[in-house]
Amino acid sequence: MNSVMDRVVAWVARLVFVFLYVPIVAVIVYSFNASQTTSTWGGFSLQWYSELLTDGALLQTLRTSLVIGISAAVLATVIGFLAALGLSRYRVRGQRFVLGAILLPLIVPEIVLGAALLSVYSFAEIKLSLLTIVLGHLVITLPLATLIILGALSSLDPTLPEAAADLGANPWQTFSRVLFPLTRSALLASFLLSFTTSFSNIVISTFTGGVGSTTLPLRVYSLLKTGITPEINALGALLILLTVAIVAAVGLRQMRRILAGTTAGS
Amino acid sequence: MKRYGWIALTATAALALSACAGGDAGSGSEGGEGSTELNIYAWAGEVPDGVVEAFEEETGISVTVDTFDSNETMMSKLAAGGSGYDIVQPSQYAVQLLIGQELVQEIDHSKLEGMENLTEKFVDPEFDPNNAYSVPWVWGTTGLLYNEDCTGEEITSWSSMIDPKYAGKIYMLDNMLASYIVGLQVNGLPATSTDEDEIAQATQTLIDQKPLLAGYNSTNYYDLVASGDACMSLAWGGASVAKVVADNPNVHYILPEEGGTIWTDSFAITADAPHVDAAYEWLNFTLRPEIAALATNEGSLATTNAAAAEHITDEALLENPAIFAPDEMLTNSEFIVDPGEAMSFYQDGWTRVKAS
Amino acid sequence: MLLAVAPILVIARNSAAKADVFGGVTDVWTFDNYVALADPVYAKTLGYSLGLAALTTIFCLVLGYAVSHYIVSRPASRQPVLLLLLIIPFWTDFLVRTFAWISLLGRGGPVLGFLDLIGVQATSLVPSQTAVILAMIYSFLPTAVFPIYAAMRGIDPSVREAASDLGADWWQTHFRIVVPLSIPGIVAAVLLTFVPSLGVFVIPVLLGGGKDLLVGNLIVTLYTEFRNQPMGAALSMVLLGLMLLSLVAAALVLRARGRRTA
Repeated sequence: MNSVMDRVVAWVARLVFVFLYVPIVAVIVYSFNASQTTSTWGGFSLQWYSELLTDGALLQTLRTSLVIGISAAVLATVIGFLAALGLSRYRVRGQRFVLGAILLPLIVPEIVLGAALLSVYSFAEIKLSLLTIVLGHLVITLPLATLIILGALSSLDPTLPEAAADLGANPWQTFSRVLFPLTRSALLASFLLSFTTSFSNIVISTFTGGVGSTTLPLRVYSLLKTGITPEINALGALLILLTVAIVAAVGLRQMRRILAGTTAGS
Repeated sequence: MKRYGWIALTATAALALSACAGGDAGSGSEGGEGSTELNIYAWAGEVPDGVVEAFEEETGISVTVDTFDSNETMMSKLAAGGSGYDIVQPSQYAVQLLIGQELVQEIDHSKLEGMENLTEKFVDPEFDPNNAYSVPWVWGTTGLLYNEDCTGEEITSWSSMIDPKYAGKIYMLDNMLASYIVGLQVNGLPATSTDEDEIAQATQTLIDQKPLLAGYNSTNYYDLVASGDACMSLAWGGASVAKVVADNPNVHYILPEEGGTIWTDSFAITADAPHVDAAYEWLNFTLRPEIAALATNEGSLATTNAAAAEHITDEALLENPAIFAPDEMLTNSEFIVDPGEAMSFYQDGWTRVKAS
Repeated sequence: MLLAVAPILVIARNSAAKADVFGGVTDVWTFDNYVALADPVYAKTLGYSLGLAALTTIFCLVLGYAVSHYIVSRPASRQPVLLLLLIIPFWTDFLVRTFAWISLLGRGGPVLGFLDLIGVQATSLVPSQTAVILAMIYSFLPTAVFPIYAAMRGIDPSVREAASDLGADWWQTHFRIVVPLSIPGIVAAVLLTFVPSLGVFVIPVLLGGGKDLLVGNLIVTLYTEFRNQPMGAALSMVLLGLMLLSLVAAALVLRARGRRTA
């Protein structure tokens, strides 16, 4: 019974992965489309890849988005970790208020939040720039990061850090030797989700961006009016292939290490 | 806990600094007189790269173009102050709103050259008397796009859009002002109505129409009509619609006999423009016929510059009704202007239409 | 903190202001916006949005739980790779992905071809409610998986083994042991899926034909076309109030349950 259900769940999960990649396959196929539009097939061609590599403006927006995404995700994960740690380890007054404050922006529709952030910036006389976008993205990614890490910390055995402290570990040692290894996957999950949220954001970027800080999604969105060409598909396909290549390289090395480990052990 | 705080602070500070550095490198230094920079906030796809490149080459001014997809987004960013933009590109009703909020500055016409090149229709328009605040750049129409294979007949009137014969094959733009053009004009009312009863009548027409619609769509409606998924759609004339009209002999773009409407997007100088000199250089540069022609040649949009006609390289663009609507189509067309106080009637009505 | 709270204060202030005729916000105090929201039109919109969000959340939760369970039961070195695989699809542009769905589900697309093959007749799945729900589940799946995974990862595997050693079957092990221990993650997943899915506005328009008004669309329209920021802000505050109420209720229920088990 156990193994049967586990197998069913595993198959459901695999199907979900397939489901996630269905439109991506279509995106990749159409990146080789010779036709101007992303909806009709006009034969095989690599022209969009060559156009992409010479499209300085588009690559610039990609760079902008990467900088913003990585900054926002690192900030959200670090602050989210500290907030989650504080919230789960220490019984402080007003704790619920802090959690509430972090989560509030989650509940507000993005356009409302974006316009309000714009008012806050203009009230505080902060000039719009990349930094203001990063802060705007931080506001929407922090709830994700905090909740994910809080969830991970709550399911940990709460006596572990205490035990470490009792054994004479200082806070840094407790963090680096106990907490970090135990929450590593949660931190990774938080970083990935925060990065992805920031990387695909349109609305907050529109309101909090200054002159010249056009992000990739904004650029794509602005192409709607004249028609999105398969060049954007090509960009998506390249991003995916690059990541998969990196993952494969790292994964192979890890696998080799594991194999080496097992052979050494046996 | 204290220590964790320090780690966070250091990390935050480091990141903030790096982000700052990135931001400054992007936006460059502030310029006053004899500006070397110009920041433009324009409709997506309406300022072709060729215009910007030619301007940069001739003047040595470096131009940053950011784009918006709705007048309202652009206006809220200007309203917040300190946007850093010099030139914005509002539509006709948005010009009125920007003037009302004092977000654009009066243009000193003694510094302008080439206003005489403009098409008569766009000189001294009702939304901006004497072009005191705006210089028109491109124009277009709001009309009806249909696929004759699907309708099996010629369409000449908005009344086809409320004809049960085409139930499930009609799209409307997902836009209030555009939808009310149909609602008002099909009842023989002016598209710029500010009368509560007239607007209520149009609202009822739109509510009755809703069950016949395949949907509201402002994104890929032209593809849907071209492919035959839909028979007809309310449509904004422009590059995308022009393309499907040019590619499919059975797809037609018309201004219905009730009139349809005209829109125009103009350049204006922001009230707090950091580079006013450069902004005037831009206005003068874009008034030149050979430059204005690039809006058509590169952007597939109708230039408001009459003198530009001889510089338009592709005759087909001049004859495409989705770009340059011919004069005989325009006889009953109106500019959509700001409804002012009547906005609340439209808001109330449109909410009811969408929620019905 | 300040960054999160300050915008909320601005929204609260604006919700009690009035729009001027040019679309700016005037400096007056009034509750007209809230009074105007009493119109049944808004309740209808909110009800429909809540239903769609709930449906999305339920699907995402069940699938998210299955995927999390699958990932957690893989070797530790493989898990980050699976997480990454899960998120990579979302690095292609949202609009491009949505257009891909349109061509997959639309006329002449492979999905219809397949349906035709197994004998189901359909002309087009776009626009349709099915397409909207499919795309919503698609968009929010990773948001549901990540928190559940993060919580499940912390569960000592020996607990589960002990349960099955004691003769608990699969359902018992999960509903008595794994689910309760993953509750913080599941709560987070519900929050992160349900709340943002209330605010969606592009998917219903592109895949659903935009005929059913959602609260997300309404707020965007109020902020843009209607030039009525105060009213949009008021609607957001109502939404915020509703969510906070249900959060407090959920917290109370959880605490009551926690006491019983402890």
